[in-house]
Amino acid sequence: MSLLAQLRILAVDDTTTSRMLLRDALETIGFRNIAVAADGEQAMQMMMKTPSHLIISDMNMPKMDGLQLLKAIRTYKPTARVPFMILTGNADKNVLVEGRKLGLNNYLNKPFTPADLKKALEAIVGRLH
Amino acid sequence: MIGARPERVHVIQGECFVTDKQDAVLTTVLGSCVAACMRDPVLKIGGMNHFLLPGGGEGSGNNEAERFGVYLMELLVNGLLKRGARRENLETKLFGGARTVQGFADIGGKNIEFARHFLENEQISYVGGSVGGDQGRRLEYHPATGKARQFLLPRTVAPVPRPEPRVPQVPASGELELF
Repeated sequence: MSLLAQLRILAVDDTTTSRMLLRDALETIGFRNIAVAADGEQAMQMMMKTPSHLIISDMNMPKMDGLQLLKAIRTYKPTARVPFMILTGNADKNVLVEGRKLGLNNYLNKPFTPADLKKALEAIVGRLH
Repeated sequence: MIGARPERVHVIQGECFVTDKQDAVLTTVLGSCVAACMRDPVLKIGGMNHFLLPGGGEGSGNNEAERFGVYLMELLVNGLLKRGARRENLETKLFGGARTVQGFADIGGKNIEFARHFLENEQISYVGGSVGGDQGRRLEYHPATGKARQFLLPRTVAPVPRPEPRVPQVPASGELELF
């Protein structure tokens, strides 16, 4: 079984259309086990129940934004080492600096293509094929 | 004494601008592009984006085009939410999407369809505007009040050929043929 088929990935975005596109892009890359959440709170609850191997999260979200989710993930021991990537609309340097302090593994600017996404994910977990 | 001039911001294609200034006027010029004018009527803040989905033609990667449009719509929504707007209060007007060149793929129509679909998906209220047609538009939007004013631009499409009159023109002189 390929690595892609084994990896469970959690995609978090509050914009329904973006979430659909993110899922499409992940399927195009070859992921088969994709979980989706509409905000940071929901994502954290899902991670506590059924942890994923990777998290991709939008930055700007209501309730709990990408950085707050990252902090929560890093603080909760069972998920503290899960690779985390943030999607940003406009790469705010402060966000990235803050993210790095919290243990952010990578980031990707929107809009992106499946190829961009694959490259950014491979920078974290190595070759996906 | 001359009063302070309202802040006028021209939003070009591929841009998004959000403001909480009460006297701001956002302007743009649209052909087949679409501008979404979005605001929170409670906070009286708003913004405008201006997009043209790249490669709207047949067979082009729809997802690629959609990603760019979604990005600009998201910038607009997030820009408002960041300033304290509530998602359930947001209301949107759409402008543009004209079919300015006859005979080619209706890119304007695809842009309108995309924007409406996005608003429906995100359950953001659509409160009107002016889309379609075959004329470009110059647009002014006042985010604080939600008022929009558009000026139609002269048609650039070739006029539809008129049928020739059935009655032959009478020659000016000297060449009249009765049978």
